Amino acid sequence: MSMREELLEILEDIRPDTDFEGEEALIDDNILESLDIVALVGELNDAFDIEITVDELIPDNFNSVDRLLDMIERLQD
Amino acid sequence: MPITSISFIIFLAVIAGIYFVMPAKKRWMVLLAASYIFYLLASPKSFVFLLITTVTTYYGGRQIGKCEERYRKRLSEGEFDRAARKELKAESKKEKKKWMLAVLILNFGILAVMKYFGTYIDMLAELLHADWMHVGSSILIPLGISFYTFQSMSYIIDLYRGKYDPDTSLVRFALFVSWFPLIIQGPISRYDQLALQLYEGHEFDYTRVTRGAQLIMWGFFKKLVIADRVAVLVSTVFDNYKDYSGVYVIAGIVGYSIQLYADFSGGMDISQGVSQIFGIKLIENFERPYFSLNMNEFWRRWHVSLGNWCRDYIFYPISLSKSFSKMTKKARNIFGDRIGKLTPIIIAQTASFVIIGIWHGAQIKYLVYGFYQAFFINIGLIFQPQFKRLAEILRINTDAWSWKLFLMIRTFTLITIGRFFDRGPRFLVAVRMIRAMFVFNPEELFNGGIFTLGMLPRDFQLIAVCLLIWLGVSIAQEKGYVIRDVIGRQNLLFRWFIYLGGFIAIIVFGVYGVGYDANTFIYRTF
Repeated sequence: MSMREELLEILEDIRPDTDFEGEEALIDDNILESLDIVALVGELNDAFDIEITVDELIPDNFNSVDRLLDMIERLQD
Repeated sequence: MPITSISFIIFLAVIAGIYFVMPAKKRWMVLLAASYIFYLLASPKSFVFLLITTVTTYYGGRQIGKCEERYRKRLSEGEFDRAARKELKAESKKEKKKWMLAVLILNFGILAVMKYFGTYIDMLAELLHADWMHVGSSILIPLGISFYTFQSMSYIIDLYRGKYDPDTSLVRFALFVSWFPLIIQGPISRYDQLALQLYEGHEFDYTRVTRGAQLIMWGFFKKLVIADRVAVLVSTVFDNYKDYSGVYVIAGIVGYSIQLYADFSGGMDISQGVSQIFGIKLIENFERPYFSLNMNEFWRRWHVSLGNWCRDYIFYPISLSKSFSKMTKKARNIFGDRIGKLTPIIIAQTASFVIIGIWHGAQIKYLVYGFYQAFFINIGLIFQPQFKRLAEILRINTDAWSWKLFLMIRTFTLITIGRFFDRGPRFLVAVRMIRAMFVFNPEELFNGGIFTLGMLPRDFQLIAVCLLIWLGVSIAQEKGYVIRDVIGRQNLLFRWFIYLGGFIAIIVFGVYGVGYDANTFIYRTF
């Protein structure tokens, strides 16, 4: 499974009713709330063996699948 | 100079006049001068505290910036492998952390001493029956200290997190800390949202200025016509709580829910409107909170800037910390996957609400207020699947408008009962009033008793009409209409009919004079 597919699976687990591929403003449009973010960060840390600290919690890193992938890759580096 | 006074309007007109004739590059100086004059007129004795926060935050911020510069320079000077880079970064972070903590401890220390010390002294005096110790209430709480401290501390934490670079001018930074429309009751604004807007010289724009003035008028309407009128009834009930039960207590607390919203959101409209005149857009602090379907949603729509502050600087750091992620793993083994994952969220959430509670004041009642909110939100979170299942079993159509209305009323009721801990003078009084609320005496509604609380039948009628207007505006806003744009598109005659009508309504129906206290906003004391 590619990283993108894995990420989408995690996201859909948290918010089953959202089409994540089409969204560009997950934070700005309040699709992901603070509780979702905490759940998401926990899952991402486990799945990709990274450590997302509170410094990374800016809307820019979480607004779309692409932005999330960028952040994960950067933290894996 | 109360912001609902004629002198404030004149002050504003003079400042705006000077602002727009100044060269664009120097306009921010007018705003700073205005902010300092405003503060000195309102609270000259506490001005020094404002200066201390400004200078220490600015200086700490510069030091954090220097740590970052040194780190970048060292990084550019040599070839580092991943481990060395990480070590260098950790070193720099440690240095930055020292500065951040120094600024936080100093400023939150001042806040704690000025705001809470007096209450504790008085509590102790009461315990010891020592009258001479009752000096707490004479300690001066600097005006707006909770607001400007929280605003400044968000700047220093953001710098530590590397969100932006520090401000390089102390004088300009002083404006960010003291911008007068928001120093009394917020919204608590972030540096990256506000500062550049303040420093930039905005041109005069007729439409923008008139829209700002209209928003100020709407704020005056909420504050002077609604909040201050209902305030009389609320004070009567709460000041003489021993005499009232049943429908009187219900009238008192529902009145308070109306008063608080009208007072606080009216104040926000005035802050927004004043800022808009100068081309500055503040964040929305209220998003029609009484339409919320649950408590969690309510707290996303009520006093948004404080909620966001707690989310970013308390909730996230706690729930995402390393020790909490370890705890999550343990909790998952004990309580299962779902509750295990929820555990850090519940703890962080409770901590955030306790802070929101004691942000209002030091008394035990505010602590209870925080726990009360956290309790219902956590219950909603923990039993979400069960509630969903129950709705399925009972075949409830959760999309029906009547169901949503029920949820809104339920949320409003829970929030309103919680307000006993805010408005009640003490915790035990609040409990006593909640119990008194359940006395069954509906006949008092029809025998004229309800009109002895300081509001005559015509006051009730007026408030009903005002609330209907406000409700209509709110529903339109929910549907995405911008009311001022809608009115702005109408013909001249109709437009001015509305403006003049609103103006006359405020003059005629506004509450002024003896017995009414239009000078103070509730949140001014926080």
